[in-house]
Amino acid sequence: MTGSPLSRQAAGAENILSDQPLQLAELLAASHHPGAGAVVLFSGDVRINNLGKEVAYLEFEAQEKLAVKMIREILDQATQKWQLNIAVAQHRLGKVGISECAVVVITASPHRKEAYDANRYIMDRLKHEVPIWKCEYFTDGTHKWGGNCNCAEITGNPAEHIYEFNSTAHEK
Amino acid sequence: MKIEVFAVLKDFYDKQFTIGETLKDISELKRYLITQKPEAEGILGACRFAVNDELVGSHYNLKADDRISVIPPSSGG
Repeated sequence: MTGSPLSRQAAGAENILSDQPLQLAELLAASHHPGAGAVVLFSGDVRINNLGKEVAYLEFEAQEKLAVKMIREILDQATQKWQLNIAVAQHRLGKVGISECAVVVITASPHRKEAYDANRYIMDRLKHEVPIWKCEYFTDGTHKWGGNCNCAEITGNPAEHIYEFNSTAHEK
Repeated sequence: MKIEVFAVLKDFYDKQFTIGETLKDISELKRYLITQKPEAEGILGACRFAVNDELVGSHYNLKADDRISVIPPSSGG
């Protein structure tokens, strides 16, 4: 190890929610750490097809104060759980076009397993728990508020989710 | 108390509005909102509630100056 702290904030990662295009290359460049042998970047991009229809664009909104607080907590928990060197998440608000990045998660750790696992954990919790919503606008003129998280229909509890990631990873 | 709704709930309610009635807790608020818009009952059943930017449970005792967010299931990412 160098004299660097085990973990730190990547430069440019302060704005967790942004109505401007996310700067993936700059974020990635700022996410290298002398203690990290693995850096994983996940970009959630806007897809042109959904529900059998052509998507024109998405529009995101959030309960911003709560969303930022919850994302910070998720990043902190992941950092502690996997001893990450870097944990970054940024999400777009407003109108986002096809192939643009709607959300980015970057994790850096000494070895790749931790960076991959932590990245999926952060993304999974972000999609299910954080108060951010998308509205899909289709080229046929219709629109639909997204329903990524329909867990309450199964669990009967809006606070109880079914995660893609191994549920044991969500122990706090 | 001031209410703010998000996402699909805006199809049923104004984005922000004030409730003058005295409501004991979140459960009572939920019933009040359903009475106002019965067609929103399904989505309200899946909603979480935050008071002054903190998530709260259904037994949270409401105060007149509370600022309440009604939070549908997330769909970010």
